[in-house]
Amino acid sequence: MVTRTARRRRASRGFTLLETVFTLAIFGFFIIILVTLTAEMRGYDRRYPVNFMKHPQVSAVVSRMRKDIVDAFGADPYPSSYATYTQTEKTLIVYSVQSTGFTQTVVWDFRTPGVVNRKAFSVGNVVSDWVARGVPANFNVGTFEIPNRPYAVRIRATDERGKLAIDQIFQPRAH
Amino acid sequence: MRRQRGFSLIELLFALVVLTIVITTSLAIFVERTNRSQRASELILAYQVLSNETEVIRRVGYGSLDALTDDFVTDTTILQPLAPFTTEVDVRQHRPGIKHVKMTIRWRAQSLATVTLIRTDTGGTNLW
Repeated sequence: MVTRTARRRRASRGFTLLETVFTLAIFGFFIIILVTLTAEMRGYDRRYPVNFMKHPQVSAVVSRMRKDIVDAFGADPYPSSYATYTQTEKTLIVYSVQSTGFTQTVVWDFRTPGVVNRKAFSVGNVVSDWVARGVPANFNVGTFEIPNRPYAVRIRATDERGKLAIDQIFQPRAH
Repeated sequence: MRRQRGFSLIELLFALVVLTIVITTSLAIFVERTNRSQRASELILAYQVLSNETEVIRRVGYGSLDALTDDFVTDTTILQPLAPFTTEVDVRQHRPGIKHVKMTIRWRAQSLATVTLIRTDTGGTNLW
């Protein structure tokens, strides 16, 4: 007859070597999967310039700028200066038609790394001031030659590692 | 006494099956999320190039469209993370006076992004 003390001793004797090895094998299997997946994700992060899903404001900057340039208006849609701003590689000044039918002077300021500031002026007054943060560090405003159309703008942006994240050509439409 | 006898084989197997289902599902969701995020980033890069190419091709004269080659006119440096990739430009006469210009970027085994531009013969040069 097995006594109560003997039963308790058997119940608390711990795991056998086989049980431990089997458990560790299963645990190790899942650890390997997790390490592999994490390494894959980090490689993917290094490969691509900007995680557009994590930073939706990047797409917002591109969309708003496209709208301003597509609606650029007049014989000189890119004045050389406006208020305290000057047309440079880091500042885009564009004379643009709004949905109301009136025109505004829009200034895109890329001078601060990682920050984009869009200011819209109407009759000398600021009517809109919009700031996007967490965008690629270096924006550059340039031109792109398209046959029979001199007003195309090329916007390029590189992240802090120098990877090209945005390269867009916008061309004004007829109004 | 009954409470101390441990798990039966059936209980253990059932617990393992449930655990396996939970872990497999979690990993599958994780992998799928990573793949979709990667695909979205790739598509954003590809459509930037397609958009640029469209801006240029919409200005090419209607009569010159057939002379377009598979090489894009615009810069494709931004597609570096997708390398190796290929570009295609396919011009087809849809009906008299209308041509479809299909621009495609292919990368990896089955990934592709495409844009079709419909061009109309306006007879003039001041095309918008």
